[in-house]
Amino acid sequence: MAVSTIYSTQALNSTHFLTSSPSSSSSSKQVFFYRRQTNRRFNTIITCAAQQTVVIGLAADSGCGKSTFMRRLTSVFGGAAEPPKGGNPDSNTLISDMTTVICLDDYHSLDRTGRKEKGVTALDPRANDFDLMYEQVKALKSGIAVEKPIYNHVTGLLDAPELIQPPKILVIEGLHPMFDERVRDLLDFSIYLDISNEVKFAWKIQRDMAERGHSLESIKASIEARKPDFDAFIDPQKQYADAVIEVLPTQLIPDDNEGKVLRVRLIMKEGVKYFSPVYLFDEGSTISWIPCGRKLTCSYPGIKFNYQPDSYFDNEVSVVEMDGQFDRLDELIYVESHLSNLSTKFYGEVTQQMLKHADFPGSNNGTGLFQTIVGLKIRDLYEQLIANKATAPSEAAKA
Amino acid sequence: MMSTTASHGRVMMLPSPSRALQNQQPLIGSDMFRLKQTEPRGSRLVVAATAKYKGTKMREEKLSEMIVEKVKEATEVCEADVRSEGCKVAWDEVEEVSQARADLRIKLKLLNQDPLESFCQENPETDECRIYED
Repeated sequence: MAVSTIYSTQALNSTHFLTSSPSSSSSSKQVFFYRRQTNRRFNTIITCAAQQTVVIGLAADSGCGKSTFMRRLTSVFGGAAEPPKGGNPDSNTLISDMTTVICLDDYHSLDRTGRKEKGVTALDPRANDFDLMYEQVKALKSGIAVEKPIYNHVTGLLDAPELIQPPKILVIEGLHPMFDERVRDLLDFSIYLDISNEVKFAWKIQRDMAERGHSLESIKASIEARKPDFDAFIDPQKQYADAVIEVLPTQLIPDDNEGKVLRVRLIMKEGVKYFSPVYLFDEGSTISWIPCGRKLTCSYPGIKFNYQPDSYFDNEVSVVEMDGQFDRLDELIYVESHLSNLSTKFYGEVTQQMLKHADFPGSNNGTGLFQTIVGLKIRDLYEQLIANKATAPSEAAKA
Repeated sequence: MMSTTASHGRVMMLPSPSRALQNQQPLIGSDMFRLKQTEPRGSRLVVAATAKYKGTKMREEKLSEMIVEKVKEATEVCEADVRSEGCKVAWDEVEEVSQARADLRIKLKLLNQDPLESFCQENPETDECRIYED
């Protein structure tokens, strides 16, 4: 189907004719500028994607079942994220109106048997095809659909690929979103979820103790056996992240090892385009804040906030930290009303988002709070990026 | 006003979100607190978090069995040499399968989604899509 429309413009010195070419790729339109000159013909081809895909990277060591973070994130944009309809039921992909979430395990170059033969864990870069990851993320970012492989976590095999259409927002989540430099350069924003060893242990106990195969020893052994590869390949990515969510044991209860009350730090890089870090009271200063007192009554162990500028792997950062738990809604709204630069569209939006997912783990502490805030920040970044692309001149390439 | 959602063959009655939330109007702290308190008791039917389709039940059981197998395997391999490649790969497999098992549990319990739902809408006659009876 060839559709061409010719426009002429008088706005510029010479006469320009615009034609839209038939779109060969799914969603990009090409606009040709022809400048009629007496001496030579001068063609300028300008490609404007009808839709610009914003790419977000999320790194963490808990498979692609970061369901709760992903659900909070996609929920900020509206709509629930669901697996692709009618496809492979073991697909790891999630799709909502605005976002598509891809699990980077799909780029394993070795399946479970292959990894066993070669003696590499899934954490090892040798088990992953970074060339394919780069090609496909690049294609999706440019508005081109891809046939992406599926790694089946149940069978441990690589299944037949599924077609992924370029979304408005592409989230790549997994162990290595920031490992390869080329992929890193494609990311508009990146997040690293940094769980401390004690909390990881507590969470895995909660996760696995109900399974008859597991015991405290097996859970501990599994974490320790994976630690060398984790420290070598996954952990170093956090220096590249625009935001790090660090989860640590609480300091409010001495010797707490249940991992139920958490101290969560949101470490935000300064100077990132379209991203303005959240702050408390006075940007750039150091604040220690306990909201519980005369106006707000909190139950044990209470809530404590900190805010300060800092340095993280040679980067200037701002850190907002929450230790403790929300017990009641009014605590949450009180805290929200004192934080600044939240990128909310109305007063109470953070609280409303938290309420929406009140049954998700982390809803009463910093993990849920900061995940929600990061979601709002990403929305803000997305809107700014889109607004900017609409007004700025597109890149021109001489024919 | 109640909205009904069919889930796992059993109807779940949920109070619909308040008008304020639906219209995205700004909420004041005390309003929301009152909201939570006025949720009528007994209007939520608790639905057991079990698989709806036979295929999902089979996956659940398979994953649980695999955990037992792979923990045993890892323990044996590591007894020989705890620093060997074989040992860390074995525990990595345990982690992979444990996470897959947990993901399935989260999907069923927290999100009330049977992963086979959409597949079974299209292919109701397959063995995998037989409704699982307790």
